[in-house]
Amino acid sequence: MAVFPSIEWFDEVREVFNTHPEYHGAGGGACETTFGVRVGQRMFRLTMEGLECISADEIGEQQHETLDFYLDLDPDEWQEMLENIRDHGGADLDHSLNTLDLELDEGLARSTGDQYRQDLFFRYNQTLQHFFDASARIRTEF
Amino acid sequence: MSETRKRRGLQRRIDKIDAENIDYPTPSLAWMGRTHQWGTRVKPGNKGLTLSSLNVGHYGEIPEFWEDQTRMPRGSVAGPGGVPPIGYSVRAKHELWADCAGDLYEEAIQRRWAPTTDVPWATIEPLPEVVERAMCQLCTELCQHANVEIETITSWQQELSYGYHEVKMFLATETFDAARHFEVFRKRALCNGGGLGVESQGRVNRMILENRGGWTEAMAVLQLLRGTLTHTIYRHGMSFAHNDAEAIIFGKCLEDKSRHLAYGLDHLKYAINHQSDQALILEQVLGIGERHLVRELRDPPFRESLAIIFGGGIEGARTHGMARYQHLMGDFVRQYLDWSDWLGLRRREFVAPELKAFLEK
Repeated sequence: MAVFPSIEWFDEVREVFNTHPEYHGAGGGACETTFGVRVGQRMFRLTMEGLECISADEIGEQQHETLDFYLDLDPDEWQEMLENIRDHGGADLDHSLNTLDLELDEGLARSTGDQYRQDLFFRYNQTLQHFFDASARIRTEF
Repeated sequence: MSETRKRRGLQRRIDKIDAENIDYPTPSLAWMGRTHQWGTRVKPGNKGLTLSSLNVGHYGEIPEFWEDQTRMPRGSVAGPGGVPPIGYSVRAKHELWADCAGDLYEEAIQRRWAPTTDVPWATIEPLPEVVERAMCQLCTELCQHANVEIETITSWQQELSYGYHEVKMFLATETFDAARHFEVFRKRALCNGGGLGVESQGRVNRMILENRGGWTEAMAVLQLLRGTLTHTIYRHGMSFAHNDAEAIIFGKCLEDKSRHLAYGLDHLKYAINHQSDQALILEQVLGIGERHLVRELRDPPFRESLAIIFGGGIEGARTHGMARYQHLMGDFVRQYLDWSDWLGLRRREFVAPELKAFLEK
């Protein structure tokens, strides 16, 4: 069982996401972005290329500029979101990336300095949602 | 059909030809060898053979001004005299260019979807009548947003010269996207016991359509002002979806609209950075557009239909539904001002007071 957050956890989700075609149909399509997942003080970098998430690693602050944008939640908020995904097989309307970005005071998707790159969050919103929804198929320990 | 039968049929037709009486002109082949650059071999990369990857050598030279007045593809050899000029009016790069256009074209093709089969229509179940009426009214409004986008782009396409084919091709996909949005919201309105509602006043629509000052100015109103509002409606619509079908409809439309905004914003930035006084002109245009929008927002159907959807009925609309509508408008104005800041347009201090007021609610 992989622990969230960890590179092992992201690798397990990547494996599910990359190998299940239902995450790539109906306009899912190619996705080209490098984005971050911030959990407390830790930042993980995920690279999407074509129909796959090709890598996941943990980065330091000096590498933040390599990110198009990053998703920022407290550890307990991440846990609530991932447990909701696990319980429903995918995020319900209250826990989707879009809703969290609308509801949180500071938003979910944060800029690393370039508005155009931050907007990739919207351009690939459904694909990013599919990626996190894929976590419903793995066992997660918090 | 068997191969033998097909061969026999072909032979019968050949036999009927009187080969001796056919006049074959001696080929001149004068056109052969007339090229600016032969031997080009672009190889597919890890994303395949993309449009932007073809911009190599002579074919990658994108001029600041496109002199040709015909449909000559960029990089080809101009034909002998006598090709009548077509009269493209948008011929300077700063008037339409965005570096991202070629890649956005590829993305639009890659991420295309089909409302007929990709939306799980069967998940739509009867809603309370007032909510269905509100949903249908919103769909009517969004159909109008889409058809104004179609008309605006198609009416300008003939003015945009072929020296910048990446932009023309991307805009072709945006036109198709908008047609898809018109389709999907019409289908949503007519699939659950409701029907289309009332037409909006269309003040902003008319301004977008009748804006003949320039493509850049049209983009400022269509993409930055109206596009941001549509984008925000899609985001909130997805968050308040009544079923999986609506979640997918708004989610996919959001991605398409984000792509349109990406071109619009990138072009506006390019235009502002390459043309003196362009920012001042756009600020004037947007100021006028904001005032049209403010007057249009006084029209009740848009505001009330959203409040009913958010409130789950008329009672809920009076309280948290209307509060949520204010939230939506606040999100719209914030995003509009953020993007304006990014472009260097002074809207934060000069935006119409009625719009600014949404930030304080």
